[in-house]
Amino acid sequence: MSSLITKHTLEHLAKLARLELTAHEEERFLKDLAKILAHFEELQELDTKNVAPLTGGTELKNVFREDTLTENPNSRAGLESFPESRDDFLKIPPVFSAEGGSASGGE
Amino acid sequence: MTLLRDLTIKKFHDGLLKKEFSALEITQAFLKYIKDTDPRINAYLSLREEQAIKEAEHVDIAVAKGESVGVLAGVPLAIKDNMLLKGEVATAASKILENYTASYDATVITKLRKENAVFLGKTNLDEFAMGTSTENSAFQVTKNPHDETRVAGGSSGGSAAAVAGHMAIAALGSDTGGSIRLPASFCGVVGLKATYGAVSRSGLIAMASSLDQIGPIAKTVEDAAILFKAIAGKDPLDATSAQVDYGAELLESDFNQIKGLTIGVPKEYFIDGVSSEVRAGVESAIADLKSLGVKFKDISLPHTKHALSCYYILQPAEVSSNLARFDGVRYSRNPNLRMHPNAANRSGLDHLYFTTRGKGFGAEVKRRIILGTFVLSSGYYDAYYAKAQQVRALVKQDFTEAFKHVDMILAPISPAPAFKVGEKADDPLALYLEDIFTVPINLAGLPSLAIPVRNVKSDMEDGGSLSHLPLTNKLPVGFQLIGRAFKEADILGMGQMYENEVTSDK
Repeated sequence: MSSLITKHTLEHLAKLARLELTAHEEERFLKDLAKILAHFEELQELDTKNVAPLTGGTELKNVFREDTLTENPNSRAGLESFPESRDDFLKIPPVFSAEGGSASGGE
Repeated sequence: MTLLRDLTIKKFHDGLLKKEFSALEITQAFLKYIKDTDPRINAYLSLREEQAIKEAEHVDIAVAKGESVGVLAGVPLAIKDNMLLKGEVATAASKILENYTASYDATVITKLRKENAVFLGKTNLDEFAMGTSTENSAFQVTKNPHDETRVAGGSSGGSAAAVAGHMAIAALGSDTGGSIRLPASFCGVVGLKATYGAVSRSGLIAMASSLDQIGPIAKTVEDAAILFKAIAGKDPLDATSAQVDYGAELLESDFNQIKGLTIGVPKEYFIDGVSSEVRAGVESAIADLKSLGVKFKDISLPHTKHALSCYYILQPAEVSSNLARFDGVRYSRNPNLRMHPNAANRSGLDHLYFTTRGKGFGAEVKRRIILGTFVLSSGYYDAYYAKAQQVRALVKQDFTEAFKHVDMILAPISPAPAFKVGEKADDPLALYLEDIFTVPINLAGLPSLAIPVRNVKSDMEDGGSLSHLPLTNKLPVGFQLIGRAFKEADILGMGQMYENEVTSDK
């Protein structure tokens, strides 16, 4: 069968997932994914028309917790292991560009 | 001096109280033995020598003062390196977390610290627990202590090899699609995948959140029960943890009641691809249990063959989402972060994401992120992700139906015993197929206990040391007992009865 994932699709998926792939990886993944997706084809033979999806690992019902204030004794721990911080804020590369758009969005 | 290979949690505890040895002596002996042996096996990624010695000394002081100490006090344990110990590196065997220092303790660690357990070190795994052989670790391949040319299984291969190789009394692993049971079976030790929700996942580096569960790997079923009881329980830090009160029944089985339980044998788990060793091993376990008076019933779990595809759609989908948090900014001490001059423009921050993730993740992790992104992408979501969620419901329904007729289910864990290192490394689908008998249980959220087949008449010539382990000239084979949700006591009880009755005494 022809693969559902073409080189173009793979590059798009890698972009969505913010993953840099080497040429070698691209080549390998195209082959692997074709094989894996071909294996998934067998699911189509199964009639699931009226089956309600199971969306999680548990069927436990939602329980509300008490809405009480608690102190997090650990709130500074992340700061200490971060390369740079100022006034309890983590310092990261700018998210917004000079032109005003979002730095990481933009399809 | 007591041989390390003889020690179980129970024996250690008795010896400690009788002052046959101190906790410090045993911890030091383990550390020394690890240094001698582990360069061949590669079970550990890091050792906690100083801290472990302090932890052991603390227990010795308590014993000397005559304070009562719990059964886990001073017990040297190995911890899979996807669980957090505050202030210590946790890598998940990934380069992307090579320098990540945990800022809090996993709940299981908090619980074990209260028991005064000793943590010897962190064990190897497939990167982020994705794999069935521990060959996907970014740092090293763990070898099987029974045959060093073979894999230890995965993804908790380091923990299973540490226990089987007598480099820890017991260990913690995690099981998302078989990652405790498969290495336990390849290495000839006991492993428990608990009911989803039985053990808190707080502080377990998330892979597939609707499937992940932490559980014990040990030399005996009794030890696995002790460790499980210590780590189980509701935790406000994990909203999916369940309010279940596990009591003494986990440790004090009523074997007369256990004998009256019925075990189902699903025909779908004895397909053509099952090797003769596994078939013979599992059949001998069934025969032994029958001889103890346990009733068996043939059952059918008709959607078994669809579980693998279902799992390998849902699991990568959750992976692609969970691993989005590793962006080069968080969870790292990225030395390049502060000097990212280009970050001020659009390509700069993206560049940081792409390169950190591209270089930080290994091939299998990337493969699954891509696969997960694909099955979730618009246009394919219904055909893959939504379909798989429906199939998951059918897989679970199979078990619900079966448990109307039987109390537990006995099945093989993998089609064959441990394979050679490198044998399947280039064929991801072949590695996925190793999970065929383990993933249905995770999809259904059920507990399952992996036990080594003790079909081999044990020789007591080596001083009776751990005589129930299979002879080393044969590769271990395991079987699993699958229980009803939160009925760990049933499968642990049956496992203990098997372990007690089917051993050298016969």
